[in-house]
Amino acid sequence: MAPLWLSLKLASCVAALLLAIAMPIAYWLAFTAWRGKFLLEAVVALPLVLPPTVLGFYALLAMGPAGPLGKFWNAAFGHGLAFTFGGLVIASVFYSFPFAVQPLMGAFESIDGRLLSASAVLGASPWRTFRSVILPLSLPGIVTSVVLCFAHTLGEFGVVLMVGGSLPGVTRTASIAIYDQVQSLEYGQANRMALVLLCISFAVLVLVYAVNRHANPYAGRRLWTPWATK
Amino acid sequence: MDAVGHEIAASLLVRVHKARTLASRERARRQPFVLDVTLECAPGITILFGPSGAGKSTLLDCVAGLVRPDSGSVSIGNEVLFDSGAAVDIPVYRRGIGYVFQSLALFPHLTVEENIAYGIGNLPGAEKKQRIEEILSAFHITELRQRKPAEISGGEAQRVELARSLVTNPRVLLLDEPMTGLDDDLKAQIIADLRAWRAARNIPILYVTHSRSEARALGERVVTMQSGGIVSEGAQL
Repeated sequence: MAPLWLSLKLASCVAALLLAIAMPIAYWLAFTAWRGKFLLEAVVALPLVLPPTVLGFYALLAMGPAGPLGKFWNAAFGHGLAFTFGGLVIASVFYSFPFAVQPLMGAFESIDGRLLSASAVLGASPWRTFRSVILPLSLPGIVTSVVLCFAHTLGEFGVVLMVGGSLPGVTRTASIAIYDQVQSLEYGQANRMALVLLCISFAVLVLVYAVNRHANPYAGRRLWTPWATK
Repeated sequence: MDAVGHEIAASLLVRVHKARTLASRERARRQPFVLDVTLECAPGITILFGPSGAGKSTLLDCVAGLVRPDSGSVSIGNEVLFDSGAAVDIPVYRRGIGYVFQSLALFPHLTVEENIAYGIGNLPGAEKKQRIEEILSAFHITELRQRKPAEISGGEAQRVELARSLVTNPRVLLLDEPMTGLDDDLKAQIIADLRAWRAARNIPILYVTHSRSEARALGERVVTMQSGGIVSEGAQL
């Protein structure tokens, strides 16, 4: 089960890092009046449409001994970045980036601008408005962002394979281990790990939907819908 | 100083020039809009009357600091809040101005009581509690204190909104059509509450409306605006 623990560790690191990185970027994208913001939105969404192997390929080049990231890492820490846990974390951060930014951005954008004005008029500093109005009202988006990053990183395969290979205990995550086991016809072992991954993923998504169901009492009552549903 | 010991604000002096606002950029492209107003409001109610698009709300936004005028100045007594010449621009949250918006802006995740307490978070506990109790009873909303905004009616929300602005003891009060959509009885009650409150604290109140009956009921002084400028000023409409 070591690969599973490695996957969970990777997913936790990525989710935590992405929350810190994505929050200011999502804030800026949500509130800027800059006309060229659609360009940045496209860049943010890029990992959604790129094949993981493409992303992994470029990440590998950047982290390699000749790549900018690899050179920097070597100068700072005395070893390379490719085929290490740190390299996996960095590549996964890029891979899950849209899953972190988009729910946060949507949450920030959906906050009524008048509430922000009201908060300021009532004397709240920018930080207090962020803490007391923006954060609580975007809680569903924050939970969605963190959980999706976690689940998405847990299930990634192509990027990990390109950047990390399959070094036991270092970069051999659950999805890679399952692949290796199937390759060597150990179906029983593969099945066990696959089942655990399936359960974790399901539990995580149930959590997201449960939180969002409770946190949205402001949508207004629907007395009538075009087609009735039970 | 007033009866409760708070400083009484002096007159509000506004002199603003502002070409088209960001929010109405599309509209402005077709019909250039320029707000150009000089206005002095002594303590008491000044009605800003005029059709939609006359620039009444933009004027209030300039006073509150939500919209930055291209040039001009805003001051309360001797204190300058904005002066384009001297590069003074006090941020919104330090202006000490009460503002009730055209459409309601209560915080949906806070109860009525928490909404009202929002603007006086810095006060010591006992004084904060006393102020909240006073304002709750002055606007007849004591029984709503534990409810969320989604659980109260439009008229009740208006009262809460007024109470939330007034509890901070603002030096100037801006009211942007605060009675829109309320029936006449309710309007009369809220106006009575507002008058009673005003009697104790003498500050300039700028009250925007496009309803003649409201202007008549409240007006001590009526300023009529049209197309971004003041067209007439008088004791009554």
